[in-house]
Amino acid sequence: MDDFGRRLLQRLVRRTPAQALKATLGKWERLTVAQRQSVDFTQPKVAVMEQLVAIFEENGWTVKHITELEMINYMENANRGMWHAFQMTDPKDDANAVEMMQFKEQFKSHLSELVRHVSVKIKKHTDEALWIRIAWGDSYSPPNHLKPTYVVHHLQTPYVFVTSLNSKQKPFLVQALILSTGYQGIKDANLSGQKLTAIRDLLMKQYQQIFPSKYNSPLTEKNETVSNPHIEREQSEHASKRLQMACEAFGDGIVPQLQTAVYKLETKFRGDANTNRTMTKREGPFRCLVKFASTNLLESFRECASSGIASTPVSPLLSSITLKGRNYFVVTENGLPSSQT
Amino acid sequence: MLNMEQHRGSAVRTPINGVPVQKRSKSYRLSYGSCLGAASRFGFTPTLTARRFSTTRRVSKLHNVKEKINADQLALLVKMEWKLSYVTPLYQFRHTKLKSYSRQLSVFITAEKQQGLAVDVDRVQNSYRVSFSLVHGMAGTDDAETVLIQVHSKHMFAKKDEPQKLIWSGWLTCMNGNSDYLGSLPKDFICLPLFGSSGPEDLTSLVQSWFKQNFDCCIGPLEISHTSLQWLAALWTNCHNEDNIQHLKLIWSLPVAPPLQITYTVDPQDAWDLWGSVRKGSGAEKVREEEEPGKIIDIDEVMSFMQGLNSHFYKHFRLDLSSGSLKEVATSLGSAKYNGKIKISNSKYMITTLTLLTEGALLKMPI
Repeated sequence: MDDFGRRLLQRLVRRTPAQALKATLGKWERLTVAQRQSVDFTQPKVAVMEQLVAIFEENGWTVKHITELEMINYMENANRGMWHAFQMTDPKDDANAVEMMQFKEQFKSHLSELVRHVSVKIKKHTDEALWIRIAWGDSYSPPNHLKPTYVVHHLQTPYVFVTSLNSKQKPFLVQALILSTGYQGIKDANLSGQKLTAIRDLLMKQYQQIFPSKYNSPLTEKNETVSNPHIEREQSEHASKRLQMACEAFGDGIVPQLQTAVYKLETKFRGDANTNRTMTKREGPFRCLVKFASTNLLESFRECASSGIASTPVSPLLSSITLKGRNYFVVTENGLPSSQT
Repeated sequence: MLNMEQHRGSAVRTPINGVPVQKRSKSYRLSYGSCLGAASRFGFTPTLTARRFSTTRRVSKLHNVKEKINADQLALLVKMEWKLSYVTPLYQFRHTKLKSYSRQLSVFITAEKQQGLAVDVDRVQNSYRVSFSLVHGMAGTDDAETVLIQVHSKHMFAKKDEPQKLIWSGWLTCMNGNSDYLGSLPKDFICLPLFGSSGPEDLTSLVQSWFKQNFDCCIGPLEISHTSLQWLAALWTNCHNEDNIQHLKLIWSLPVAPPLQITYTVDPQDAWDLWGSVRKGSGAEKVREEEEPGKIIDIDEVMSFMQGLNSHFYKHFRLDLSSGSLKEVATSLGSAKYNGKIKISNSKYMITTLTLLTEGALLKMPI
């Protein structure tokens, strides 16, 4: 194995926890059972690395095979890096009829027409998603396998999720996607996050939603020892109403795990008109950037609303996250919120 | 008024060669709060959180701070982010004995670090070099001069001819401390209530325990309170017409599970306009105070400013920021965090900022 292959393999081994590495090797069909069992994952990484190098050299495997392994590893551990969502627009009549083999063939041939040196690998994941690994090169340099772009696309949907794509490569990817899927346009979905599954679930509405209903859920029986049952009832009515509204806006049960939401506000100053007349009458927007961050943003928002820190009904700006499946907004005076694409 | 208390300095852990540890059985401490008791000239203030804090602040920009302070010292002060502590008045601290303190502290640190290590003694003794120096040109009329402490050291495996590197720095200061309080201290006490440190924490605690042992003082962590952070937001914004603040960034944390962090970054010009709109201007009050308008900032103005920012936020998100706590304030002039970390990036506004922090340190001292 050459130096570059060693480097690539070393990086993969170093970045992956031993157990995940074991699972990855288990999923790779090329290894024989004996080979798989010969690797001792309790040793230090350096030793594991040497064992793997030996196996690779024995079989004459090269960079191509390492990228295969890397891809399996990424598919199993998708929650790293920053994923950006795109949405394809204007489907042609045949957009829903594209099947896997056809897409694979077309995407590869279109992309290699656009970029001289490019290495594309496409694999189908267990959840029917197509995983695409692209190593980019240009007219003068071979594909760079150290900085691959990963693209995830569910056939028959307009959604595409991308990680590690730079602005120079973006037009080529967009072009190849449009040509091979039967859509005519593509736009930034203004949604990004570390968890691929979360942003996918949010866009495809695959989480437990609650829809507004006229009838509140029946109140549970209350302990009769309270000093004033009327006050108690009224309070619990408020609380359950708040909870209802919180769940309508942000989902019920386990919600997609988003980390951030960003709002670029370019609206007029909306302070208290009585105490701050100068500012509210001022021409021009009050420019600010608001970023919300949490380990689970929707859960935090839901608790804000149910506990009363956020007033109900929930602000349309916040409920737009789930309603529109976005977490980046530019808010201007005409039409809240609008987007910048 | 006076507080007699048993000496707590039982922290002497190692036999220290050549360090004269003066053990006293009694220590003397005067409470800042009690000094400002009933006779306080600080009147009643409208907000509970600001009850004991100054309600007005003079914007004293020491423009010539660059000419007065040694350039190297100033460069160090504005380069680092400092972790703050409060220090009770130092007993028998002498600004004239800095050279001997440097030697003593070097030996102390070396001795502490040597514990349990089998290393060449000659080498270890040279491995920490401490220098105390005076920072001239910062102190106000009643304040003691600021003291800068630097610890240089060599890496354990460094070559013989390699120069020692600065590994830790710290300072003790008093900036425009309350003159009633400073005047009420007995002669043997020097008040340098604000302690800033930058470097490994084990060295910070060694330096602090040396101070505790030698000057019979208490040292504890100093947070930058919610009110102080609001003050800084206003004071920094107030500078925008002279030095572009680039942005006004406020970080809030809301108490929900999981915690929600909100970063609210305001355009500098718009923050300045809002600040201008809450300033009371050249009304009758200013004339009565016989001050130039704009030189004095009142806490009401600070609170209206924050209120303005919060209500703009509320009108959009229907989320009440005041139910959370302000954790951090930052502009291009500096940044301050609730956990007691401060960075002053522009020397022009160092005095104003340190004055505010000195007040916070004096209030934090145990009563």
